[in-house]
Amino acid sequence: MTGARSKAVVLWTFVVIALVVLSAPTLVVLGASFTAGNMITFPPEGLSLKWYAAIAGASDLRDAFTRSVIVASICTALAIPSGTLAGIALSKYRVRFANSLQVYLLLPFTVPLIGSGIGLMLVFGEWGILGQLWPVGVACCVINLPFMIWAVTASASSLDPDLELAAANCGAPPLSTFLAVTVPAVTPGIITGALLMFILALNEFLVSLLLVDARIVTLPVQIYNSIRSIITPDLAAISVVFIAVAALAIALLDKLVGLDIFLKSK
Amino acid sequence: MDALEALAARLWPRSFQGAVPYLMLLPAVLVTGLLAIGLVQMADGSLRTLDTATFLPSEFYTLANFKRALTERLFFVVASRSLYGSLIVTVLTLLFAFPYSYVMVRTPSTVLRKVLLIALFLPFFIGQVVRAYGWLIILGNHGLVNEALGLVGVAPLRLLYNYPAVLFGLVQYMLPFAVLMLAPALTAIPEEIEAAAGSLGANWVKTFWYVVLPLARPGFIGAGLVVLTLSLTDFAMPAILGGGSQDFIANAIYDQFFRTSDQGMGSTLALLLVAVGSMLVGAVFALFGAGTLAMGGRK
Repeated sequence: MTGARSKAVVLWTFVVIALVVLSAPTLVVLGASFTAGNMITFPPEGLSLKWYAAIAGASDLRDAFTRSVIVASICTALAIPSGTLAGIALSKYRVRFANSLQVYLLLPFTVPLIGSGIGLMLVFGEWGILGQLWPVGVACCVINLPFMIWAVTASASSLDPDLELAAANCGAPPLSTFLAVTVPAVTPGIITGALLMFILALNEFLVSLLLVDARIVTLPVQIYNSIRSIITPDLAAISVVFIAVAALAIALLDKLVGLDIFLKSK
Repeated sequence: MDALEALAARLWPRSFQGAVPYLMLLPAVLVTGLLAIGLVQMADGSLRTLDTATFLPSEFYTLANFKRALTERLFFVVASRSLYGSLIVTVLTLLFAFPYSYVMVRTPSTVLRKVLLIALFLPFFIGQVVRAYGWLIILGNHGLVNEALGLVGVAPLRLLYNYPAVLFGLVQYMLPFAVLMLAPALTAIPEEIEAAAGSLGANWVKTFWYVVLPLARPGFIGAGLVVLTLSLTDFAMPAILGGGSQDFIANAIYDQFFRTSDQGMGSTLALLLVAVGSMLVGAVFALFGAGTLAMGGRK
């Protein structure tokens, strides 16, 4: 069976390299955040939690983090109703011009991020709302909305239309049917979509960079501005917050819908 | 509840039923509409040149910006650097994404599959800036790699702020996208087909070349075009790992707005990039449908 062995060796060589390359930055940031030194050096000068204490006391990093959470919350709050309604409408009803509508709603994916960011910057500038935080949340919703719609349609198409008919047949008025039958059926999709929207908005860098000014930087922009001057371990400690949030989101996603869903063929 | 139903019935009599789906689509259409207005604003801006005397956009429309964008050497250099770079990134990403998806899809071990999936999603959810920060720590002049080389007596290498560093960062950024687009295509290939090729005497290289790769072609083209457009239009990796010397198109657009303050020229470049990007994505959808991104179950 030398054939099977050489196949395994070749495949695993690529897989191991890919695994190392995928995980290296995360692991190194984690490691650097626990250093006892004032610089990031290898091997580290001992272990300590002092950089975590430092970020807890650093108001600029804390404020930036709070702003990122606000942006992500606004984005999610806007995405849940608009994405859910659109997702249900697209999967349940026969909509006229459905194809053109799809092309239109996929616009955020076809337009490169820099294009969307510049376009929204011009619009918000025209309206005189640049320099506030909430338009950044709206912008994050605009650029990622297809994820939300996609997550909802995925679970709405598994809803048996007979269920809604049965509810109506038993005398349930339309609004009750919608709230008691349709919405619960698509809840897994709503949760998945909301999770994606929140994480992507929390991490959003380029569109934030274009829309914020020095007074309202979000955390990714703050980190970007800092690593261009000098790399200190407090940035590693604050980056660990992102890693922890990402890990939490993956755990939730796995529990709610299972990560395997992404491997299914259509 | 009854009062709500009564209110709903009054606001929305049965005869309006047909309008319900359109009303439900309205919020999403409005949200996306912001982007459409943005594109119109960009188009308007691209037709105005910067008046160097007043530093205001011109009142009249002109195509001068487009002429500059297509003739000026700087833009040509940046555009060809981005295009060439994104082609290399695409080839390298697919080279590593294929074995990764293959092992992930075919492994009988659920634990291994989960590990591979988590390793994929973690960087995807962490964001580009933190990842690039990790690379700065690893590849810096006093970084992990150079310290390790120092131990075996190799002088520090300059691993950052050059073209290969940007491409390397982009490949790492793109791998999850490519694997997630390839995996469904590989899942669709029945394992028996490979076994059949093997029992007919093909070794695994031949089986891959003549059976698996051709059958996975839709996945490859989809993943390839996504990687190509995303890396062509990327901002963070050239900015952070290129250190300003390896600008891609997105960085040039940013500079037009925030350094030169030439909104017209910036809009022109952005619009051209949107055109190229949309054509590439449009080609994917036209060839293969929207695939995993298709919205709406019934046709």
